[in-house]
Amino acid sequence: MAEMWINMGPQHPMTHGLWNLRVKVDGETIVDAEPEVGYLHRGIEKICEGLTYPQIIPIADRLCYGSSFTWSHLYCLTAEDLMDVEVPERAEYIRVMAIEMQRIASHLMWLAAYAGDLGLSVGFTNAMRDREVFIDLLQGLAGSRLTYNYPRIGGVAHDLPPNFERDALRTVRYMEQRLKEYEDLFDNSKIFMMRNVGIGILRKEDGIDLGVTGPSLRASGASYDLRKDMPYSVYPEIDFNVATHKDGDCYARYRVRMDEMWECCSIIRQALKKMPKGKWRVVAPRNAPASTGLGRVEDPRGEAVMYVVGDGSDKPYRLKIRSPIFVTLSAAPKILVGYKLADVVVIMGGLDMCLGENDR
Amino acid sequence: MVAGGRPRKRGSLGFVLKPMKRTGSQLVRTLILGKPNTVLYPEQKLDLPQVYRGKHVLDFKKCIGCGNCVTICPNDCMWLEKIDDPELGKIERPGVDLGRCLFCGFCAEVCPTVALHMTTEFELANDKRDELKLGPKDIRDDAFGSTFTEERQKRLVPVLDLSKCNGCEKCAGECPEICIAMMPIEKTDAKKPEINLSKCSSKGICAEVCPEKALTMTEVYESYFEMPEPKLMLDKCSGCGACARKCPSEAIYMYEMPGTEKTLKGGKKGKPKKRAVFVLEKCVGCGRCYQTCRFDAISMSGVER
Amino acid sequence: MNLFEFCYGIIHWLVDLVNNLWYRLGDVLPWYFGDFFTGVGDFAASDSHLSFMTILLESIIIILVALINVLNFLWIFRKISGRILDFYGPYYVGYRIGGWLQNLADGIKLFLKEIIVPTKADKLGFFLAPIIFVGSSLLILSVIPLSENFGLSTNSSGEYVPAGALFALAAFSIAPFAILLAGWSSNNKYTLIGGMRSAAQMMSYEIPLILCAASVFLLAGSFNFVDIVDAQRDIWFFVPMFIGFVVFLVCLIAEVEIVPFDLPEAEAELVEGWTTEYGGMRFGLFYMTTAIRSYAGGALATALFLGGWQGPSLIPDEIWFLIKAYIVYTVFMWLTWSVPRIRIDQMLGLGWRRLLPLAVLNLLIAAVLKTGGWF
Repeated sequence: MAEMWINMGPQHPMTHGLWNLRVKVDGETIVDAEPEVGYLHRGIEKICEGLTYPQIIPIADRLCYGSSFTWSHLYCLTAEDLMDVEVPERAEYIRVMAIEMQRIASHLMWLAAYAGDLGLSVGFTNAMRDREVFIDLLQGLAGSRLTYNYPRIGGVAHDLPPNFERDALRTVRYMEQRLKEYEDLFDNSKIFMMRNVGIGILRKEDGIDLGVTGPSLRASGASYDLRKDMPYSVYPEIDFNVATHKDGDCYARYRVRMDEMWECCSIIRQALKKMPKGKWRVVAPRNAPASTGLGRVEDPRGEAVMYVVGDGSDKPYRLKIRSPIFVTLSAAPKILVGYKLADVVVIMGGLDMCLGENDR
Repeated sequence: MVAGGRPRKRGSLGFVLKPMKRTGSQLVRTLILGKPNTVLYPEQKLDLPQVYRGKHVLDFKKCIGCGNCVTICPNDCMWLEKIDDPELGKIERPGVDLGRCLFCGFCAEVCPTVALHMTTEFELANDKRDELKLGPKDIRDDAFGSTFTEERQKRLVPVLDLSKCNGCEKCAGECPEICIAMMPIEKTDAKKPEINLSKCSSKGICAEVCPEKALTMTEVYESYFEMPEPKLMLDKCSGCGACARKCPSEAIYMYEMPGTEKTLKGGKKGKPKKRAVFVLEKCVGCGRCYQTCRFDAISMSGVER
Repeated sequence: MNLFEFCYGIIHWLVDLVNNLWYRLGDVLPWYFGDFFTGVGDFAASDSHLSFMTILLESIIIILVALINVLNFLWIFRKISGRILDFYGPYYVGYRIGGWLQNLADGIKLFLKEIIVPTKADKLGFFLAPIIFVGSSLLILSVIPLSENFGLSTNSSGEYVPAGALFALAAFSIAPFAILLAGWSSNNKYTLIGGMRSAAQMMSYEIPLILCAASVFLLAGSFNFVDIVDAQRDIWFFVPMFIGFVVFLVCLIAEVEIVPFDLPEAEAELVEGWTTEYGGMRFGLFYMTTAIRSYAGGALATALFLGGWQGPSLIPDEIWFLIKAYIVYTVFMWLTWSVPRIRIDQMLGLGWRRLLPLAVLNLLIAAVLKTGGWF
């Protein structure tokens, strides 16, 4: 068969979100690939220039449907850096706990989508069902299911609801049980291993050169995690390991995310244990000084950076968002070429696409 | 490398039997032992937490019509509407356009009197866009606030009624934290106690000693949003009192300035000029005075006219 | 009384009823008309016409029964998959019978939808593909007997279609043509790749499937379903030929195109595979045909390996057969929802490198068993 271009997207089951991957296939083998993004551009950076500082928090929530908490937290970190606000310790622990819950929820959503891509519907529904538990927990904490709008500049919106610690510990215990059960469905399945091992290999050097971050890079053997390497919030006081894997294939990416979920469970336990009593919020100034603020966090998908410039008024002069997926996507052609058409789904699914933050 | 996780396993032994065991046990659980995990939605509904952000309700009696909710809304989906209420007279109350609402909850959070709440009602779909626009009468529910315990922090602070104050300085003398200072009001002969609320320990001594009962201990909801403060430019103020009439929280008092009386015909002295005095502890930062003033005598940064 | 006799009775009764009219007309009318009507009556009463009509009625009854089973299969498919995936499955339509009517409701809905034909599609191929696909699948159903008394036979002796099993397997392998036709004529890259994949898949899995069936024929010494089932009176064939049974099941899953091997319609990479451009009831036919082929596959596995209608005589033979077919189908479903989709090259490798040698090995075992005199 002659070579031909196939559009996978913008309306295609493989693309989680609106984007287009043009692949050139020779029979079933990929010889070239070309991602096209921009279908979901909403101009969030520009919208933020017209809003006051607290008003941006719900907008930052809408950057990524999978892990909205991380983004609003990142924005609050950035604004606190700009305004020199000292956050109460209790608020920091609540944030860390909520972020780790969000990380589990995000990874479970990735797992669900990944299983769905592979044709394993039971993996999809099981992961979504277990994600629901964390979504319910965060709903009880923040008041909304997806766009929490919970962190504030200078703390969090309100205190923990009653009985929250008991529920959280029970949920974590449930999750650890589930994680063991997932091994049966995924690791112990011959066909799952056939589809994953040795597919989409990203070498460590390539990953570093292309700016890939997050689980995709850690799966290539580079132990790079901002929570450890450049700690923010109260992460220095929490004991956890960075999950890495040396293979760099799709299975390694899957394995890193699963191990991260174990770590998240342990971080939630520690945060609940170490959480002090006291205030959870301080009053943030209305007007920011004419300077700059920078925030870097470890998003479930990689390193997320926000940079804000204040001009003395109550609105930012400029807000810049560095999306981890936008950078990771540039590595896609490199790891796609040479594999089969069916592997596109696995490889792109393994990168955990989220177009909301990508196109902004 | 991985702690807490489990060692990596190669699934060559299990082939397809291990996953089949997992799904089989799930089938037994959902078909024979119990029921599936899903909720049959129209018949069964989930219990939503109290903090859930659904449809808005407004307590007309608590609401003071300041419009802070309209200002904070990131999506411009709220507006103030003038209505004639048989009980409350001519008032301004906010309405909300659910078609544009983000359900971020800032309006309920910023409300200085906690008159605006978000309920757990989430079935708000409608096939007409107009019916998604809820005016103040559609979201009115005066009884809602008493149905649950309020989560927001309250604080007992002295609230000043400046019209009763005679400037006796007793409160400043008795305050154990020394957080009250008597400040003279510029161009007038009166004095006004300025209370530093961040130091206040809510003991209520100042209210006890006040001979005129000008200071009363009141429970006030704490606000975490720093609101803009009005500043008076004294030379431009004409003393018309429009701002004091408009102020939703009654934080503006008109004071006479002695020595500004005009000499009328016949040597008689007319009435002295008045000036506005702000009691900033009561101010909710809505900017209504700034918008009302026709003489540009009030400056307030960050408020749109 | 078997099905042939039952149908023959009905046809005979009907012909007698109508012939009364013809002969009376022949008596009353003038000679040139009368002879004509008498001739019609004579033709209707002739043996060839009677047996033809009987066989037609038989096949209609068999296919109707099979289609009702197919509806059951669809219901099982949706219900079991729902429960495995932790949701209810069909529930409201036909609440008292477990949502059984949902399939009918979906069928009605599909009938009401517009049929869209792409402008650049090959109209004839696009039109013919569903017909061939459905027709060939119905052909399989017509030759599968449910019991000794319930099957397509040509005379009252109960001898069924000679080489019925062979006919069923032959009809099974017509489908790739329809799929390739559908994929090619839709003029779409996804459908084209889907059709190509389907052709490759069906060709590579046909051979082990037929080799496994051949070992059964070898042991039974016949191509006839009744003889094959009778040969399993002492021991069902899946015990001596367990390898063959497993290989047969795997190949059936590939032929039926359900999940581990549903590459032609892999919805993640090729939107809906070769059915992408089909909408409305044409898609419904494809969907239903998948269930028909699943039923046929389950029935074939039952007849060839699981002893057909053999079983304790507490319940009728037909029900035994159906129970076995349903169990085979449920195991299919169970497997389907437990494993991910396999990749095309891995799948072809599995077919040619693993299943084909195993099938040949199974044939050898069958030959040894036959020459050893155990069967």
